[in-house]
This record gives sequence, structure tokens and C-alpha cells, in this order.
Amino acid sequence: MEANTASELTNYYYEIAGLQLELRFPSALNLDHILPSFVGFRAEHSSGTSVAVVTFREDEVPSEEEWGTLRSDISLVWGDNFRFYEQEDAFVTLIKHKVKDKQWMMKSTKDFKESRIYGKAEDPRMGEFVSWLLMVVFGQVGLQHRLILIHASVIAYQQKQGVAFLGKSGTGKSTHSRLWLKHIPDTELLNDDNPVVRLEEDGKAMIYGTPWSGKTPCYKNKCVELKGFVRLEQAPLNRFTWKKGTESLVAVLPSCTALRWNKDLFNAMTDTLSQLVEQVNVGYLECLPDADAAKASHNAFFEEKVETGS
Amino acid sequence: MMKLRQDLVLRKVGDDYIMVDPSQGMVDLSKVHTLNETAAWLWEQLADKDVSVKQVAELLCDRYDVSYEKAVEDAEALVQEFEKAGLLEA
Repeated sequence: MEANTASELTNYYYEIAGLQLELRFPSALNLDHILPSFVGFRAEHSSGTSVAVVTFREDEVPSEEEWGTLRSDISLVWGDNFRFYEQEDAFVTLIKHKVKDKQWMMKSTKDFKESRIYGKAEDPRMGEFVSWLLMVVFGQVGLQHRLILIHASVIAYQQKQGVAFLGKSGTGKSTHSRLWLKHIPDTELLNDDNPVVRLEEDGKAMIYGTPWSGKTPCYKNKCVELKGFVRLEQAPLNRFTWKKGTESLVAVLPSCTALRWNKDLFNAMTDTLSQLVEQVNVGYLECLPDADAAKASHNAFFEEKVETGS
Repeated sequence: MMKLRQDLVLRKVGDDYIMVDPSQGMVDLSKVHTLNETAAWLWEQLADKDVSVKQVAELLCDRYDVSYEKAVEDAEALVQEFEKAGLLEA
């Protein structure tokens, strides 16, 4: 037996949206402290196969020449503090920093089933960065299991049905959820930034809380049936319209995460999305940040149409 | 010889035929192409085949009750449309 305790790794298991994620981190680190938003998703033991394994060893970030072809440095969903590189048999995700020592890097197999994170454990922002890198992994791996990590704020209505609000950053997704909480009874915030939608074996669409929720600490390990999506747009009035076919897909597509340079992952995403938009309702809401906006989307999904003049 | 792009997958969403084209640029803005029923049918017929006006016109004549002259006209428009939309292999 080697007595090299510094390099000993402990396995941690998490179940997110029904998929098992496995982390292998140095035993000296307390992962529950580093990743507090993951605590509610932790499982004591492995139950079956891990869809992704992520290993962290404290190590120098490999030098720039080894990163590969630059693929992207901005994402509508992920912001702009990172870079994606592609190599022959790997993807490299880099979290940029002026100081080279403070950069974080992850090298993943092309299907993201195996990844290795490089960085310094003394970095006070380690938890934030590791969490973000795990979101990248989970988003891509999930696509292979009919699951899409979306950029949305989602409410659970009457504890059983979810509605996801989509829109560009600053459109007011969170605000719209807050308006529901305030003005619509029996409403709960399920996730404020990165929920997961999943097409289950029985064909049902479900929406799950995750350990990622943007700036709002809302890390709920629960799921409800997905009733639909609403794309929000700021407007001087409140007006709700339903979208069908192509238009419904176009409304949801920009809020989905898939690396475009991997044909298999991208096609898996569009496959799932095409089926999803046929299963659930998709609406478009031009809205003000007021109570009537919340009532407009609530009525569209949950109120029975009242025939006038009958 | 021109061919259809192999990387695009034709899907039916509701009543529409669509293809999602991942952008190759830095920003993740994908394009969605919509095809009508005839174009979607042609897309399937033309897989692996040479996309020429003659080929398309013949397919149209086989399926629809249309004169060859009219079919050639439509085929020219379609091939141009495919090319303009970037659906042909470079």
C-alpha cells in the first residue's frame, strides 16, 4: 500500500433528474462545503451506472498550446467568461482569468462521460467554478438520455405542474416567476435559471430542479410534470399567443444547451426538443412586469376557456 | 456534382418539416429551415443523389401530374433555393 494520502480520492454520487453523476475528489476536501447546492442531490452509495465521472486532482492547468482549436468564447446560455476548445478526441472548457494561476480547466471525452478538472483547491471560487463545469458536463451527457438542460425560470403550480419561462438575459424570467408567486395561489419556485426537462420512458415530459439556479439559491431535488414553455419579451402591454410546429421549436431552441460542434449531441438535442414541443404547450408572452402578466400566462395554461355569450 | 448536406436531419414537428442547422460561428444561434411537403419529400428522395435540375424535375414528373417544362421551372427554383439556404454540400 502506498501511503500517499494527498492523492487519495473519494467517490461522491449525486442523482440529478434521475441520472447518476460521480465525482472523484481528493479525500482531504469536504465536497459538501465546496458544493453546498449539491448536498440535496447526494446519494450515499452508487445505485447503478454513473452517466458521467468527473475527477479533480490539484494540478497545473496544461499550457495553452495543448488546448486545441478555439470553438467558442461566448454563449447565450453560459455567458462569456469561458472558452471551449476542441481536440481530436476531447473537448476543453476553460474558465478564463487574467492571472494564469487562477484559471480553471476541464478536459472531457467527446461524449462528456469522462472529465478531468484542473485548478487550485485554495481558490476561494473553486465551488462556483466546479459547479459551473459540472453543469457543462451534465448538460451534454444528459442529451444522450433524452434530457435537456434549459435556461429558464420555472414555477410549479399546485405542486404538480411546471411552467418554464424563457427569454434572453434581462428579459425578466425571474421577475415573471416572482409575479406568479405573489399573485397566483399555490405556486412555488422550482428553479430560477437551469432546470432540466426530460422525456421519460412513458413519453411524459417532466421538469426537474437542479443544483444550478443562477443567482437564486433554489436547489430543489424534485420534479413535476412539464405543462409548457413561455418565451417572454418585454412589451408595453400584456399579450399571450400560442405557438405551434416550427414556431414552437424556434421559441424554445435558443434556451437549450448543446455544443453545436458535436453532431451527435446536437442531433440528440433537436430530437428530444422536436418531441417535447409536440408534447407540451408553447406560448409567447409580450409582457409588462406586473400582476396582469402573471395572470395572462396562468390563464392561458390553467383556466378553462370561458365561452362568451352562452 | 452537388449533393444535399448529410449532416442535416429532416424532422416533422406538428404539421411542419424542419431542419435545425447549428451555426458554425462563435455564437450559438442556430438556423431552422422549414420545408413544405413537396420539398421534404424531395429531400428524402435526393439523399445520396446528385442534386441537378434534371434529377429534381424527373422526380416531380413521377409524382405529380405536371408537364416536364413546368417541372424544370420548379426544379430550377428549388435547387437555387437549396443553394441559397446553404443546404448543399460545399
